[in-house]
Amino acid sequence: MDFSRTIIISCAGMGNRLGLGTTKALVEVDGKPLIIRHLEYLEEEPDIRVVVGYQAKKVIEAVNQYRKDILFVFNHDFKNTGTGASVALASKYANKYILSLDGDMLIHPEDMKKILACRHEFVGGNPIESDDPWMLQTFEQDGKEMVGAFSHCMGNYEWNGVTQMLSAKMLNGNGHVFQLIEPHLPVPFMELRTREIDTIHDYERAVEWVKNGFV
Amino acid sequence: MSRYIFLFDLDSTVTRQEILPTIASHIGVYEQMKDLTESSMRGEVPFKQSFLQRVELLKSASVSQIREIVSNIELNEPLVDFIQANKSRSYIVTGNLDVWIEGLIEKLGMEKNLFCSKALLDGDHIQDVFNIVDKDAVIRQMVLPFVAVGDGNNDAEMIEAAEVGIGYGGVRPVAASVLECATHVVYQEDKLVDFLNKLL
Repeated sequence: MDFSRTIIISCAGMGNRLGLGTTKALVEVDGKPLIIRHLEYLEEEPDIRVVVGYQAKKVIEAVNQYRKDILFVFNHDFKNTGTGASVALASKYANKYILSLDGDMLIHPEDMKKILACRHEFVGGNPIESDDPWMLQTFEQDGKEMVGAFSHCMGNYEWNGVTQMLSAKMLNGNGHVFQLIEPHLPVPFMELRTREIDTIHDYERAVEWVKNGFV
Repeated sequence: MSRYIFLFDLDSTVTRQEILPTIASHIGVYEQMKDLTESSMRGEVPFKQSFLQRVELLKSASVSQIREIVSNIELNEPLVDFIQANKSRSYIVTGNLDVWIEGLIEKLGMEKNLFCSKALLDGDHIQDVFNIVDKDAVIRQMVLPFVAVGDGNNDAEMIEAAEVGIGYGGVRPVAASVLECATHVVYQEDKLVDFLNKLL
């Protein structure tokens, strides 16, 4: 089957709100940096790109200690651009599909398996929990749930930054990742369990989540 | 098919061993060479000056001996295969001396695709270095967009000017100046070639 995929892990951002003085991908949850937790689930994936910016050298060193066959992509303008810019840069010269993950999140191991088994485009969402999320408006089409719009005002799920798209569709943008996807909607929806780590409160909840076996 | 031209640094990119330190260890001046090479990599001494100092250090050996050592240096085989498969648009850009790398370049079949420094000979010894390659000048002459691959401080300009500028750290650490301007950095030869193939 004609399926080839490049995994993109975006780790360029500064993570100021967390206040731990390190880029979020290197924050340790239960003794292991977030980026390494992603890589552990991606052992079988041959083509992984890690986007670096803030503290690039530290991220590169940490990843290299774990796995050597990674292509690092620089987002030198990380201070002025969003994760969308990182994903656009890494989607250039990529395989047919890109699977985009944020370096500052945790994904339930079972859901990671579901993501990796998926062979088509999707946009990932969680049940709404955050205070001020970007949301997904979904509708049903031929028995499948489709994402029709991203919205700050209303929606049935919270956008979590996980998406698989044709790489050719993701080449332009500087802002949010969803702004790269928007022109190509509707896209099939996938419900996931993830935790994003923006604040120290998020961090504490994430640590609990991992320690309790993701329940 | 893309229109990219591919420019490759030679030392520690196409080769798996550092060329000048390898020569130095054969002729017993490794420690002195190590200090000079490291300060040059870090960009603390201008390349031109540091290169002349390093040539001075190796000058006592005959050119034929050095050529022999260089010809036997271990190569980054996957990259050599890529270069040979795409010879018409691959170029070696190296500060190293024509007379020392001649055998290696012949082995690669890159005699016509080479920018390097040049020396005058007196018999089997170097009389003078009369031309040190200016990688910046090489790229200023480029008309088409290009891909550049290298690791050292003297590669930073060509990597910065490249459409796709790749730092390669498979042999020694990538210079800080390269990390600051590269679009990509990669630490494994197969992964480097895998990406280069996507740029064709």
